[in-house]
Amino acid sequence: MSKTILYVEDNEFNRKIVRQLLAATTYRLLEAIDGEAGVATALEAGPDLILMDIQLPRLSGLDAAERLRQDPRTAHVPIIVVTSFALSGDDRKAMEAGASAYLAKPYSPRQLLELIRKLAPEE
Amino acid sequence: MATEAVTQRTPAGGRAARLDAFLLGRWPLGRLVGWVAAIRAPVHAKLLVAFLLIALLIIAVGVTSLQMLAAMGRHSRSLDEAHERVHWSQQIEHALALQMHFTTLALVVKDEAAIARILRENNRFNDTLARIEGAAPPDERTLIQQIRSAQEDAMGVVADIANLIREGKVADAMEALTTREDPLYRKIDGLVRQVVALEQARMDGLRAGVAAANRRSLLLMGGFAALAIVLALLFGFVISWSFIIAVQEAHGFLGQVAAGNFGVTVRVANRDEFGELAENMNRMSRELQRLDANQRRGAAELQSLNEQLAQASRAKSEFLASMSHELRTPLNAILGFTELMLDNLYGEVPQALRDPLVDVQTNARHLLRLINDVLDLSKIEAGRMELAPAEYAPADVVETVRASLRSLAAEKGLEFVVSVPPDLPAAYGDGKRITQCLLNLAGNAIKFTSRGRIEIAAELAGETLRYRVTDTGIGIPKDQLENVFAEFRQADATVTREYGGTGLGLSITKKFVELHGGRIWAESEPGRGSTFFFEVPLRVSESRAG
Repeated sequence: MSKTILYVEDNEFNRKIVRQLLAATTYRLLEAIDGEAGVATALEAGPDLILMDIQLPRLSGLDAAERLRQDPRTAHVPIIVVTSFALSGDDRKAMEAGASAYLAKPYSPRQLLELIRKLAPEE
Repeated sequence: MATEAVTQRTPAGGRAARLDAFLLGRWPLGRLVGWVAAIRAPVHAKLLVAFLLIALLIIAVGVTSLQMLAAMGRHSRSLDEAHERVHWSQQIEHALALQMHFTTLALVVKDEAAIARILRENNRFNDTLARIEGAAPPDERTLIQQIRSAQEDAMGVVADIANLIREGKVADAMEALTTREDPLYRKIDGLVRQVVALEQARMDGLRAGVAAANRRSLLLMGGFAALAIVLALLFGFVISWSFIIAVQEAHGFLGQVAAGNFGVTVRVANRDEFGELAENMNRMSRELQRLDANQRRGAAELQSLNEQLAQASRAKSEFLASMSHELRTPLNAILGFTELMLDNLYGEVPQALRDPLVDVQTNARHLLRLINDVLDLSKIEAGRMELAPAEYAPADVVETVRASLRSLAAEKGLEFVVSVPPDLPAAYGDGKRITQCLLNLAGNAIKFTSRGRIEIAAELAGETLRYRVTDTGIGIPKDQLENVFAEFRQADATVTREYGGTGLGLSITKKFVELHGGRIWAESEPGRGSTFFFEVPLRVSESRAG
């Protein structure tokens, strides 16, 4: 059974990149466009990996990550936080919020795929 | 007001202070002190008057005692005189006895010498009597005149007796002596005794009077001296308290001012220098209050300004965070789609399209660097750039830079070498930022060098880590060596157009080096090349950490 990846990102083009990147793999992609929707989808679908942008409408990526960490249903799911490196310390904040890894924007799709494969190996 | 001031005094003066307070509380004293304080006269005049009054008292006491001494002298003299008169009257008595004795003797020895003795004693008697009479009071004078007339009678009888003796009529002489002379002498004797008694009585009376007068004088003198002492104490007390109260008021006032209680006022009754002092202190207090109010207002304004600035700073960094995100998100899409295309994710890309796609990628990356530089600089200038110090290997920094730029140098046909001593120890600092700095310098070196070599080096000098980038490029004129670290400045504006770049790299590098507590400089010879150095402490101090 193929693994499910949830991408929470409000920018349609960035979602499209990941969608097209993962189209060539066995991963199944779920998308959410804000923090609240991201948390709801994660709790409902139980993905194998969550890709979370740091700056999201309604609920910030960090808060969403923290909430998911505290819920037993998603506490074990690896989360990759996508930061903007606006202020040094974003990476530290991401790790404190419970992220398994962080990736700075702009990221290379190739590197993102490597990170996904590392945290949730393809079957 | 006095009691309040007194309570502030030290315990050592406690008892005296309580006494003073008690005295000041008595109605006339306190009022007198206030009255003296309110006299419109300078302090030295008041003191002068007080001292003069005390000096006058001393003089008065002296004069009085001198007068007493004089009176006592007079009394003593009159006592002496009285004593002398008593003595004289006793002498009269004695002379009379001798006269009688010699008269009797003349009867026995019957010679002229004996008669002459009677006369001599008679003369002595008369002399003495005259002396007494000279100083005698009227009642006594009557007595003396009686004595004199009796004495003259007696002398008549003596003359008769003398003649009778010379004539050899001893029996008649004896007769005259017993019948005429003896009664006369007895009469005189009685009168003389009266005089003696009178004189004695006068002397006794005088002595008692002198004793009483002396007692009175002593009492008067003592009383006067006591009064002088009390008055002197009173003057001293009043004059000193008329000043001390003002000083105590000033003391309490200054204590309040020193405690920061500005605007308090001091009120003293004095209309002398202390009064002026109090007025000046009140002026000072008002001025201090005004300045304090100004200062407080200023501080409040500064505080609110500070809050506004802090808010502006927060707004700026929020803007930076959001800007950073907003700029990177579309860039992410551009770079992402380009990479997907170049990775043939959408099918094989024809060669004719591959070149422009690489151009898109190159320019997007350049735009990313520009954005990063501008954001870095903004953060530095907002004071929000913080170092993330950790252990790092300087050799790794040099290697990272070499790996990143190797292909670029190779493309331009440049010799690209690194020089790192093998025993270089681990450093403590923000390795990522140090890498960024060295990358900037080395990138510039490649950009401005068309042939020759680029050398990147790291070396240790004591506790200082020195990085160096040497090139054989166009170089920088001496007068522009300083300017190259300024923002948006390359040695020449045309350089920017020819070589590209943001013009921010050196400025950011300088700021990062300075954040580490280091320094950056360059040496160059136009046409032959440049060497850029920067030094940072091997171990950056913790206080510089973010």
